[in-house]
Amino acid sequence: MRRVKDTAIAAVTAVALCSGAWLLVGGDHPDAPPQPSAAQARTDRAGQADRGAAAPALPPSPPDRIRVPAIGVDAPLTGLGLTGTGSLDVPPAEKKNLAGWYEAGTTPGETGTAIVAGHVDNAEGPAVFYRLGALEKGAAIEVDRRDGGVAVFTVDAVEVYAADAFPDEKVYGAADRPELRVITCGGPYSRSTGYQGNVVVFAHLTGSR
Amino acid sequence: MRRTARLLTGTALAAAAVGLTTAAPVSAGETVATGGLTVYPSSVVPGDRAVVTTAVCGKGGSAAGDASAVGAGAFPLAPGTGEAGATGHFEVPPSAQPGTYEIVATCGDGDRRVTGDLVVTLTSAAGHPAAEQVYPRGSVKTGVGGALGPGPVQTAAGVAALAVAAAGGTWLLHRRARGDGI
Repeated sequence: MRRVKDTAIAAVTAVALCSGAWLLVGGDHPDAPPQPSAAQARTDRAGQADRGAAAPALPPSPPDRIRVPAIGVDAPLTGLGLTGTGSLDVPPAEKKNLAGWYEAGTTPGETGTAIVAGHVDNAEGPAVFYRLGALEKGAAIEVDRRDGGVAVFTVDAVEVYAADAFPDEKVYGAADRPELRVITCGGPYSRSTGYQGNVVVFAHLTGSR
Repeated sequence: MRRTARLLTGTALAAAAVGLTTAAPVSAGETVATGGLTVYPSSVVPGDRAVVTTAVCGKGGSAAGDASAVGAGAFPLAPGTGEAGATGHFEVPPSAQPGTYEIVATCGDGDRRVTGDLVVTLTSAAGHPAAEQVYPRGSVKTGVGGALGPGPVQTAAGVAALAVAAAGGTWLLHRRARGDGI
């Protein structure tokens, strides 16, 4: 009888030890967010090759929502400004399924470069664009607009850029057709400095409805 | 190239700001209004429309605008509704050269004269509206690493589980030390 009790206590001890260690090491999400492979990179003249496929520009209209079916994203959009240093501001981190768009810039669907950004994670765990780095060329991105229309973009490339060598012109620069950038954190992570770069999705308008 | 253009624009805007605070010399008999004329956008490309407002002429006051410095001639400022002040607009001629120009408005009573600066820059890309945009710079802070390690709740659960393991282990060791065997 006593032997049974001892065995039970030993078993509970072993299970508690293992699960405690597992929880502290990282538990059910120990993985870094997915990062794009080299195959998703911009080729030289990226965008030139598929110019013929671009849809005509839409009139300006603020966006309300972004959907990326391939990675399960369906999120409302809030307006973003700039920080004191001129970098793009970000949505409030505590709202994990909220993305933002650069309000002083181009609206998605009109000619130019529209910019959308969202968190890859917050203090609680994965956030709206956690899987952005897993997106592949050819995937669809849909933006609901306030005029009731939907702008449909097709992914041209998915890149990772280091924060200390960020290609502003490539990412934010003007375009002569309707383009979209979707940005989140990415690259190597260190506890002291956080994520050391950004995942950037390049897309252009290919349809609307 | 774009960076240079932005730098130049920035310098010009700074100059414009200085110009606004140091009111232009005015002839005798006119009240000096410090700046007082808002030009929007303050930086344009040739062919753009600029909107001009002033609150100096008072509620319901109209004004006569003069944009001949930039080659746009005279234009009227109509009384605004509410607190908007007098408002007018003019087209910057397509032939305008880059530079900073003084735009002048004289209130309907002829006593007060206000000025504001307009900066004309050359468009970089085929004249599309994006030429006026301010673009963000640098990377975006969109993550804290919360997906990589345990969250606070998970950490607490882990610590609790380890505490249970420690208690169990201690009890078993005590039993063994007393020679009871397992």
